[in-house]
Amino acid sequence: MRCMKVIGLIGIILFLLTGCWDRKETNDLWIVTGVGLDQPKDGEVEVTVEIPSPSGNEGGGTGGEGNQAGGNETILQTGKGVSIPKAIEDLETKLPREILWSHTEAIVINKELAETGIREELDFFIRHPEPRLRSYVFISEGSAKEIMALLPPMERSSSEVLIELAKSEVLMKVTLFDLLEMLKGESGASILPMIDKLPPEEGKQPLETIAYINRSAILKQGRMIGTINDRLTRGVLWFRNEIKESTVTVKPEEADGLISMNLMKGRTNLIPKIDGNQLKMTVKVETVDDVIQNKTKWDLKKMKKHKMLEKELAQKIEMRLTDTLEMVQKEMEVDILDFAEEFRRKHPDKWKGIKADWKEIFPTVKVIFDIEASVLRTGQGNVP
Amino acid sequence: MSQVFNRRKIKFNQKNKQQQDDKLNSNPLYPNLDQNLEVLHSLYKDCSDVVFRSFVIADQTKAQLIYIKGMSNIEEVDSNVLTPLMQKADQNSINPKVLIEQRLSVAEVTRIESFDACIDQLSIGNPILLLEGDQQGFALGLSKWEKRAVEEPTGELVVRGPREGFIESAEVNTSLLRRKIKSPQLKMKTLKVGRYTQTTIMITYIEDLSDETLIEEISQRIKRIDIDGILESGYIEELIQDNSYSPFPQVLVTERPDTAVSNLLEGRVVIIVDGTPFVLVAPTTFYSLFQSGEDYYHHFMIATATRWLRFLFLFISLLLPSLYIAIITYHQEMVPTTLLLTMADSREAVPFPALVEALIMEITFEGLREAGLRLPKQVGAAVSIVGALVIGQAAVDAGLVSDHMVMVVALTGIASFTIPRYNIAIPFRMLRFPIMLLAGTFGLVGIMMGLLAILTHMSTLRSFGVPYLSPMAPMKGRDMKDTLMRAPLWKLNTRPHLTGEYNKYRQDSDQKPSPDKGSEGE
Repeated sequence: MRCMKVIGLIGIILFLLTGCWDRKETNDLWIVTGVGLDQPKDGEVEVTVEIPSPSGNEGGGTGGEGNQAGGNETILQTGKGVSIPKAIEDLETKLPREILWSHTEAIVINKELAETGIREELDFFIRHPEPRLRSYVFISEGSAKEIMALLPPMERSSSEVLIELAKSEVLMKVTLFDLLEMLKGESGASILPMIDKLPPEEGKQPLETIAYINRSAILKQGRMIGTINDRLTRGVLWFRNEIKESTVTVKPEEADGLISMNLMKGRTNLIPKIDGNQLKMTVKVETVDDVIQNKTKWDLKKMKKHKMLEKELAQKIEMRLTDTLEMVQKEMEVDILDFAEEFRRKHPDKWKGIKADWKEIFPTVKVIFDIEASVLRTGQGNVP
Repeated sequence: MSQVFNRRKIKFNQKNKQQQDDKLNSNPLYPNLDQNLEVLHSLYKDCSDVVFRSFVIADQTKAQLIYIKGMSNIEEVDSNVLTPLMQKADQNSINPKVLIEQRLSVAEVTRIESFDACIDQLSIGNPILLLEGDQQGFALGLSKWEKRAVEEPTGELVVRGPREGFIESAEVNTSLLRRKIKSPQLKMKTLKVGRYTQTTIMITYIEDLSDETLIEEISQRIKRIDIDGILESGYIEELIQDNSYSPFPQVLVTERPDTAVSNLLEGRVVIIVDGTPFVLVAPTTFYSLFQSGEDYYHHFMIATATRWLRFLFLFISLLLPSLYIAIITYHQEMVPTTLLLTMADSREAVPFPALVEALIMEITFEGLREAGLRLPKQVGAAVSIVGALVIGQAAVDAGLVSDHMVMVVALTGIASFTIPRYNIAIPFRMLRFPIMLLAGTFGLVGIMMGLLAILTHMSTLRSFGVPYLSPMAPMKGRDMKDTLMRAPLWKLNTRPHLTGEYNKYRQDSDQKPSPDKGSEGE
């Protein structure tokens, strides 16, 4: 009996408590899917949030209708302030609902802001419990707000386009967590995908287009110092053992046309070696490719031609890697290839001495390539 | 309060004792027929269904035939009792008792010596024959009353398996068991319970398989019952179960003879109550409530898969609405973005918090279910149409609930029907509501609290000394082969352990069919 009384009492209390505490109905939430960070003028940050609009109210009352085809209905709202929290405070005064950050999957940072440094600004997203560390970070050529305002014809919102592009892993894919690791890493260098607006097709509204990843931004100590194009970005991906998609087209000297190959498997090993004062890095690349197009008259089933093709492929990859190295190591002098980490792991004692002067030492590291390329499937068919 | 209660109890016991004493000094029949009739007439005063028929045996001895209309086979009484007895005797002054032995062509004739025995026999439909000048009467085994034919049980349908079910008559039910277990070790103890109904209760078990102390305990508990009447086995269940305040059934209820027999063979005790097709099986465990007879008739793989499916849907029926409430009000980050956006869309026009929304729909559904059960068949179709509208799109269009809620309620409803035994589905249907409240108040933490409370409670339960959650808690490795999975029959070599000593092996080991076996003939 006593037990029943206690249960009854708890039941009543539960009824009274309902509706308290941190209950958040979805009707009272703005679900943010994308954030844009801009710098309208020095020392000020502008935060733009992209919110897919809940269509329930706008349907005109009759449920079932009001189905905006494509569903690309998003609401943009901006707030300004000296820091991100200040800007968000400003933003919240303009929004009738509470902001839910946990579904933020794209963070777009404007180039100008990135040039002044992103380390301090990103601290907010890392400290706040709601945003995910898995959200993708991009740097935009123009204003981030403009990127957020785009109305992509296919996807629900502009940020979704960016997420899908990043996931495809053709070029760089950097999550907030990766970025955090890069910023804290030994080399202090980071690389981020760079996005730009695709010019809209003719006859379309200026906003009816998407943003796309076309190059990569290079950051040194959290400050953007330059960009590299898509070809070199793939070179960087090779170095970082992150290459997933790559198509290589070669024109063997003796052949009368082009042969295209698609990457099946690519693995890179960085083998550091300290030789007195000279630091050496062996880049060991193993790759397996498939032939996807053969415009020559070569019969690839012949062992000789096959070997020639493999050699050609290795050369092509080495050329790309050399070009990348030239740009990154010699011109920009930024260690986004993560050589520093490799040296630290292999020679933790010696690294302590090198660490302070790494900026000067990095451009002098001697890089040796060891590329092993094989073509697995040449296909049965011959030249038509 | 408790003092008053105790005092009343004492009074009760005294009264009880008196009744029992009366029974012991049962009043014997008189040698005089008229005197006997006088007593019986006064006992059955105003009972228009009791027939007194006086006649003369072989023109010599006055006799009286007494029976209750509709409970005895009148045709047989006519042809096998009255006709032969009323014929003229070949010789004069023959002893009527000898005559009865010679002429009465009835299989079952019992001698009765008291009025109580008289009443007992009459009330089960046996006609009574009283003779002038004889202190003993005869009870003729000619009872016959209307009963249902053996039909397929509607509550426990199977695709494959016997299609017979218990009926309301205890005699038929025992015969169904006896037809499956031919061994004389199948024992049946009969008890009468109920002050007025005097219902027959049979404790059925297999000697050597069931623990003797268990049988003793069960019959003790049944003998303790002293109420006006037993109308269904539910009365017995409620009066003998270990923990009355628990929502969980501690006795298995079945309508199927094959289920009853398989439980008997596992050393359990089957309690048959006259007047209901539902027999009780004790002791039982939580996991045995999830076994269906069909599990053993189909391939063991599909049986195992369906068991897993049942457990999955058990959790769905208990938790789905609560999870929905908790996630939509507290843990939005757990939902994939796209789904959250559509959920937010559909909830946009709903004025209530998710908890209220869920309560409205769940209560509506329970109401519809109840209505569907009780309604006469002719209006049943109307209810299902209205019900489909209420739970369906109409509720969404009216802006009362969101699309996703409808989906959740529908799935929960389906889930609670996948559980093979109705009585184990009930506690989960009920406990859903407190957990929903917890979810609406504390989110996922609340759900976990609720689950822990239920689990703790379940692990304290015992059914006639057997832990409710065994063989999981306490863990008994050997018995696990028939809980979450159903091992192939040639692996089920040991009986599940209930209590105390038990007969461990139920079949020869190593019976897996393989080519080198069965080649003895060659």
